[in-house]
Amino acid sequence: MPAIEFEGVSRTFRSRPGMFRRRTVEVQALTDASLSVEPGELFGLLGPNGAGKTTSIKILTTLLLPSSGRVRVLGHDPAGEPSKVRPLIGYVFGGDRGLYDRLSARDNLSYFADVYRVPIRDKSRRIEELLDVVGLRGREKERVETFSRGMKQRLHIARGLLHDPPVLFLDEPTIGLDPVGARELRETVSALRDAGKTILLTTHYMYEADELCGRVAVITGGRIVAEGTPASLKAGIADRTVIEIESDKVDEAVVARLREITGVTSVVVEEREESQLLLVQSSLGAQLVQPLIGLLEGVTVTAVAAREPTLEDAYVALVGAA
Amino acid sequence: MIRAFLTGIRVHLVQLVRSPFDLVAMLIWPIIYASIAYYLIGTGSNTRVLFTASLGAAMMMLWSQVIVGSGFALDMQRNQGTLELLVAAPVPLVAVIAPIMIASAAFGIYGLLVTLAWGRFAFGIPVAIDHPVAFAMAAAAAILAVGLLGLIAASLFVLTRAAAYVGVALQYPVYLASGLIIPLAILPAWLGPISWVLAPTWGYRGLTHAASGTGAWREIGMCLLLSVIYLVVALPCLAWFERLARERATLRLS
Repeated sequence: MPAIEFEGVSRTFRSRPGMFRRRTVEVQALTDASLSVEPGELFGLLGPNGAGKTTSIKILTTLLLPSSGRVRVLGHDPAGEPSKVRPLIGYVFGGDRGLYDRLSARDNLSYFADVYRVPIRDKSRRIEELLDVVGLRGREKERVETFSRGMKQRLHIARGLLHDPPVLFLDEPTIGLDPVGARELRETVSALRDAGKTILLTTHYMYEADELCGRVAVITGGRIVAEGTPASLKAGIADRTVIEIESDKVDEAVVARLREITGVTSVVVEEREESQLLLVQSSLGAQLVQPLIGLLEGVTVTAVAAREPTLEDAYVALVGAA
Repeated sequence: MIRAFLTGIRVHLVQLVRSPFDLVAMLIWPIIYASIAYYLIGTGSNTRVLFTASLGAAMMMLWSQVIVGSGFALDMQRNQGTLELLVAAPVPLVAVIAPIMIASAAFGIYGLLVTLAWGRFAFGIPVAIDHPVAFAMAAAAAILAVGLLGLIAASLFVLTRAAAYVGVALQYPVYLASGLIIPLAILPAWLGPISWVLAPTWGYRGLTHAASGTGAWREIGMCLLLSVIYLVVALPCLAWFERLARERATLRLS
């Protein structure tokens, strides 16, 4: 039996803005989304902002009711049986929210241990263990409001693990962390996977998904557009080459012309501090470099390189095509 | 569940005590309420009447702290992302929401003391309590009952993102219907039955009777009875509003 089942799930948000002559506004956050996560698997749900990742997690963590579809966590229905699902799951979200800032780290853990029904005989030992796991030993008596974002994020992880749940939902846990903090957190997540936890991780950092996840699904516009191992998603665009062109400012009209070149499948512009990076995907390989440079007449090109596609390129291709 | 409840009261009290805003607000509110009561009753009235008025002011402040303070507390939980974590916890929702109400009400003790101190030092109203034990018990019963009355409102606070505004709107109707501003005797008779089901009515009477030594046991009993009734009403309300909040996605601010 899969640990997490999500079959044909849709979710519509309705709101009625304004004071007079109010009309109902509907936003379709999820449309017929399906995925399945096996016990002990670390599964990545990838997608841009507003794609439906957090909505999916909230439905699975009993915080939101689906409009339609079938959802199961370890065989229980989060919508109809929340009291059976809640003891089995841990929920950690990114950012610095979700903690009592005026309390110490230990007081936060102590309260959530009571709320998450950690047996009183295990409570102190469990808190001490988790302070070691997340590297907050020695800082546990300090108020959370004095913590850095990374420290708060690690405290979040400890909170989510207090009751030792078999299933963990991690919603963009490394968002806003510095590179060292993010790496430490990925190591923690990796250790949890090795300990046998079932983990559903949402992220839009592709290297993170590539490093951690056994399988991933790409969601965009509320629809799951691809699912498989990171290698299989990369294999989907293995015939392509990514040409990286570093240049000064390229206007939108030029980018549009680049997209029209035969053989170009996508063009993404990444803004850098003092330059731009054009990422051009093509099935024609490096032979496309000359035509591309030709179209960039008047633009200062500082570097050109061709490389194999990464998971991020596969993601860009999938999201761009959806 | 009881452990979560008791720890929750401590946690939320610590949160309030460590909030400079709440501490200052709780210093200013009682002063304003006590001053209004003093000038409303009349500076020439005898000290017993003035002391009774200051107890009414204290009860107004207690209700405000519960209904407005807890509305703000729920909004803050929603804003800081802890409301979702509490709702997603394995313990029943009442075990995490009721402590917020009780802590807000207990914080009202601080307001009660400020009210009495302000009356004593600003207006020379002596703190005359004939039965201190009964007074303490009446205060404890009032805090429990008013806190649990707030729990019924809190079920609505779980649903709405405008909990604080709802709380503000609920202040004055209860002041009036409980006879805290104007004696019930000069208000329309139909308000009588409404006042009987409101904890501030009995809490106020309990405090004044205990202070004057005329016996407060009936009022304390009414506070306890109402506490049970409020809890019985609040439990299905909480379950219903929680489901609605999950349906309407209002557990988080955004």
